[in-house]
Amino acid sequence: MKKGLAVWSVIGAVCLALTAGFPAWAADDVIKIGVIGPMNFMQGKGHWNGAVMAMEEINAKGGVQVGDKKMKIELIKADSNEFLSITDATNAMELLLTRNKADFVVGGFRTEAVLAMQDVAMDNQKIFIGCGAAHPELCTRVAKDYNRYKYFFRGTPFNSMFLVKTCFIQMATVAGILKKVLNIPKIKVAIVAEKQVWADPMVAATQKTLPKLGMEEVGVWRPSQTATDVTAELSAIESSGAHVIFTIFSASVGITFARQAGELKIPAAQVGINVEAQKEGFWDATQGMGNYVMTMNTYSRDVEVNELTKPFVQGYIDRYGEVPTYTADTYTAILRGIVPAIEKAGSLDSDKVVQAMEAGVPYKSPSGVVDYLKDEQGKPLHDLKWGPGFLTSLGVQWQDGKLVGVWPNKWQPAKGVEVTYKGVVPYKIAPWIIEKYKK
Amino acid sequence: MGLFWFYARRGYRVVRNEVLVLPSRVILVLFVMTLLLLPLFTQDAYTLRILILTSIFAILAASWDLLSGYTGQLNFGHALFFGVGAYTAALLNLYVHIPPWGSIPLGGLAAVLAGLVIGIPCLRLRGTYLALTTLAFPIILMGIIFALPGITGGELGVSGLTRLSHSRIGDYYISVGLMLVLCTVMWKITDSNTGIIFHAIREDEVAVRAAGINTTRYKLLAFSLSGFFAGISGGLYAHFMRIAGPSTLEVSMSFTVVIWAIFGGIVTIYGPVGAVFILFPMLEFFRFWPEYRTLMFAGVVLLILLYMPEGILPWIRDKIEVECPRCKIRNVATRKTCRICTASLD
Amino acid sequence: MILDIIITGLISGSVYALLAIGFSLIFGVARIVNIAHTAFYMLAAYCIFFVTQKAGLHPVWGMLAAFVSVTFLGLLAYKLFIDPIREHEGAVLIGTIALAIAMQEFMLLLFSGDYVSVPSLIKGYFAISGVKVFYQQLLTFAMVLVILFALWVLLMKTRLGLAIRSTAEDREVANLMGMNDSRVAMTAMGVSVGLAAITGAVIAPLTILSPFMWTHPLIMVMAVVVLGGMGSIKGSFAGAYILGFAEALVVFLIPQGAFLKGSVALSIMILVLLIRPEGLFGIAFEEER
Repeated sequence: MKKGLAVWSVIGAVCLALTAGFPAWAADDVIKIGVIGPMNFMQGKGHWNGAVMAMEEINAKGGVQVGDKKMKIELIKADSNEFLSITDATNAMELLLTRNKADFVVGGFRTEAVLAMQDVAMDNQKIFIGCGAAHPELCTRVAKDYNRYKYFFRGTPFNSMFLVKTCFIQMATVAGILKKVLNIPKIKVAIVAEKQVWADPMVAATQKTLPKLGMEEVGVWRPSQTATDVTAELSAIESSGAHVIFTIFSASVGITFARQAGELKIPAAQVGINVEAQKEGFWDATQGMGNYVMTMNTYSRDVEVNELTKPFVQGYIDRYGEVPTYTADTYTAILRGIVPAIEKAGSLDSDKVVQAMEAGVPYKSPSGVVDYLKDEQGKPLHDLKWGPGFLTSLGVQWQDGKLVGVWPNKWQPAKGVEVTYKGVVPYKIAPWIIEKYKK
Repeated sequence: MGLFWFYARRGYRVVRNEVLVLPSRVILVLFVMTLLLLPLFTQDAYTLRILILTSIFAILAASWDLLSGYTGQLNFGHALFFGVGAYTAALLNLYVHIPPWGSIPLGGLAAVLAGLVIGIPCLRLRGTYLALTTLAFPIILMGIIFALPGITGGELGVSGLTRLSHSRIGDYYISVGLMLVLCTVMWKITDSNTGIIFHAIREDEVAVRAAGINTTRYKLLAFSLSGFFAGISGGLYAHFMRIAGPSTLEVSMSFTVVIWAIFGGIVTIYGPVGAVFILFPMLEFFRFWPEYRTLMFAGVVLLILLYMPEGILPWIRDKIEVECPRCKIRNVATRKTCRICTASLD
Repeated sequence: MILDIIITGLISGSVYALLAIGFSLIFGVARIVNIAHTAFYMLAAYCIFFVTQKAGLHPVWGMLAAFVSVTFLGLLAYKLFIDPIREHEGAVLIGTIALAIAMQEFMLLLFSGDYVSVPSLIKGYFAISGVKVFYQQLLTFAMVLVILFALWVLLMKTRLGLAIRSTAEDREVANLMGMNDSRVAMTAMGVSVGLAAITGAVIAPLTILSPFMWTHPLIMVMAVVVLGGMGSIKGSFAGAYILGFAEALVVFLIPQGAFLKGSVALSIMILVLLIRPEGLFGIAFEEER
C-alpha cells in the first residue's frame, strides 16, 4: 500500500494547496512591482535584471516617497513561459495580480501573449508597462477604448512602424557607403524576411520605398523563422547580384543565415533587423562567421546617447557580464516611469499614477528621451515617440568578434541637422565584398 | 406539500440505495457538488481561472477518449479540432458579430467538418499509421493559417473577442456547467448502443463488420462527435482568453491531451476528466519552482505510469471497489459478500 | 537550379534517413513508437556542444562521447521506464512523450533556452558547377551511406541481425525458437538510440541547437516512416529521400512559400496513404500482432 499512500498524499496535497491558497503577504509598506517574462530565456532574464537594478537603486536611496511616507520596492518574479504556452502567460499574470497583489507590472515579450496579458491587467485595472512587444495594436487599443486600456504603456521598443523607418535609414546609410567606396552605380537589394506576420508589412513597405531611395529590389525570400538551412536562398541571392541583403529576422534563422552567408562568403552586406545578432552569444553561435553583420539594437558597449547611458550600460555589464538587451529597459520603466509618477501622484492609486505618467513625459532615459504619442484625433496612445532628440535606437555591427555601434554616425535626418552619438565607429565593409567589386 | 415529501422520500431512497453504496459514485457526487458550490466559499479570481481552464480542457480530454479510447483510432492531432473550434468561433465573433452562445456551437460544427475531413482518409488506416497521420493535420492547418495572415492574423491570432459573460463567476458557471453537461452526454453515448459498437470496433473490427454493422459509418460518427465536443471546448477557450492563436494547434497541445487521457485511464469518460483536474492544477501548483515545473510534470507522469499503467483513475477505482464474480455488480472493497446476490467476494 | 534541388534533396534526405531508420527499427522489433527518438538526437548534439565549447576538445571526441553516453542513457531510460510497462501500449506511448519532455527540460536547465551551435568537422565549401556545397554536408551524406552499409551488414550477415529480423516478423515464434525477445528488444533499442546519437553527431554542425530542436525532426521522421511503411528499413530509406526532395522542390520553386515545406511534405504523405494504406513498402498488419 506504500504506492497508494504516495498517490493519495500527492492528491491530498494538491487539493489542500488549491483551497488553502498561498500566504498573502500582509506587509503594507512595500510597493510590489511584478516582472513578467520568459524567465528561462534571454528576454526574461533581461526583464528581471533591469528591474533588479532599478529596485536596488531606489531602495538604496531609502525608497519611494508616497504621500508622506517612504515605501520600498519589492519585486515579484513571474515566469510567463510565453514562448511555449499562452495559457501559462495569462495564468501567471492573473496570479501576479490577484494572489501576489502586485501594484504594477512590467515585462512581456511575445505579442500574442502580451495581447492576452494586457486584457488580464486591464481587467484588474493595474498599470502594465510592456517591455518587449512592438506591435502597434497594443497601443491603438488604448486610443480606441481609453477608459479600459489607459493603464497600458509601451516601455520599449518603439512600435514596428518606426522600426521599419529606422532600418531603412540604416540600410540607406550602408548602401551609400558601398556606393561611394566601391563605385557601384545602382545598389541592388535582396529582401530576406522570416515568414511571420510582423514582418509582412515591413516587406511591403520596403518594396515600396526602395525605388524612392534610388535602389533596386532583386527579390524577396521568406524562410521559416526556425530554418536550419538557407543555402538554397543564399545561392539564389548570390546569383541575383545583390549588393545589400536587407534582413528581417527575430528568431534562430538569424543565426543560420549569418553563419551560412559568412561561410559561403556571399558578396553582399547584411543590414536590417537580426535579433539574434544583438546578443553577445551570436559570435559563438555562428562559429565566428557572423562577421560584418549589422543590425538595429538599443544598447552597445561604448556608445553613449546621453549622460545616463554609460552608467546604466556599464553598471549592467559590471554586474551581469553582458550588454543589456532592450528588454532590460524595465530599468527605465520603473526608475524613470513608475517611481516619479508615484511620487508626483502621492499615492499608488492606478488612475492617479496614470495621469501622472502622462504628465511626466518627456523625460530622459539611457536610450534617449521618452515621450508619448497621440493619434490623429488627439487621443493618447501611450506609444513611444521616435526621432532625433527622442528615441532612435542604434545600428550595431559585428567587427572581428566585437559588437560595436556604427549608427547614427553623421546622420542627417533633416537639413542642417546632423546626429552622431558618442562612441560610434566607422562601418566596415567585408573584405570579400571589396574584393569582388573593386576593379 | 405532500408531493414534495413524496419526491423527497424518493430522492432519499435513491441516494441511500444507489449513490451511497459505491464509493466511486459518492466521490462523483461530492466532486460535482464541490464544483458547483465552490464560488460560495471563495471568489478568488485566480482559483476560478484555473478551474475554468481545467473544465475546458476536461471537455477536450474526454472528447479524445470518446474517439481514441473507445473506438481505438488513436488520434494524435486532436489539437486540430480544438484549433478549428477556437478559430471559427473567433472569426465569427469578430467579423460577423455573432455572440458567444452562437459562435461556440458553430465552432463545434466546423470542428465536425474537420473531423470528417480527417476521418475519411483515415478510414483505411490502422493503428500507428492512423496515429501518425492524424499528427500531420494540425501542422498542415497551421501552415495554411500562416499563409493567409490577412484573415487569420498569422502568429498573432484573432484577438479582441467578446467575453463569455460579464463576470468571472459567470464564466465559471458556464464552463463548469457545460463540462458537466457535455461529459454526461458523452458518458450516455458510451453507455448506449452506439457506445457498445464503439467498444466492439476497438476490440475486433473485422468481427463487427462480419456482424453486418457498417463500421465506416460508426467510425466517422466517432470522429464527428469527438470533433464537436472538442470544437466546443476550443470555442470556450477562445472566448475566455479573448484570443485564438496558432498556439491552439501546436503539437504540444495534441500530445498533452493524449497524456491527460491515458494518464487518467482510457475507455472511461471520467478518467481523462479526473486526470485534467489532477494534472492541470498540479502544473500550476508547481509554479513555486518555475525552472523545474515541466520537469516535475514529466517526472510525475513517468512515475505514475510505472505503478499504474492502466491509468490512475481505474487503479483507484479497482482499489476501492470490487466486482462480484457471480452477478458482475460492483461493490465496496470492504464488503465480504455481494450486496445483490450475496455471493462471497474474495 | 536542378543541381541545387538534387544536392539539397540528397542532403536533407540523408539526414531524415539516418533518423528514420532508427525509429523504424525499434518499432519493427518492439512495436514501440519512440517519441523520444529525436530527443536522444538532441541530447547527442548538446553533448558535442558541451565537449567542444566547454571542454575545448576536438569535435571527434565529442562525437565519441555523445555516442557512448547517449546510448547508455537511452538503454537506462528504456530499462527503467519503458520495459516494465511494455505490455500497455498506451502507457508506453505517453511514457516516451514524458521522457522526451524530461530530456528537453534537463537541457533547458543546463544550457538555457538560447541558441548555440557546434563547429563543423571540416570547414569550408566547394563548388559543383556553380552550386556551393559545404564539406560538412558531403561528410553527412558519406556517413549516411557508411552507416546504412554497416546496418545492412549487421541485419543481414550477423546472428544478432537475424534475431532482430525474426523478432520483428513474429515475436511469439521467435520466442519459441529460443530468442529472448526482451533482450532482443533491448539490443534493438540500443542500436536505435546509437543511430540517433550518431545522427546528432553528424548533423549538429549543420543546424542550430536549442532544447526544442527535437519537435520538428520528429514530425518529419514520423512522416518518413509512415510513408515508407512502418517497420521497413528499405521503406524509411526511400521515404526519406522522397520527402527530402519534396522539401527541396518547394524551397526552390516557391521561394516566398519556403515555410510551407513541412506542410507539403506531410500532404504528400497523406496522399500516398490514401492510395496505399500500408505505406510504400510496409505490410498490412495482422490483427493478432
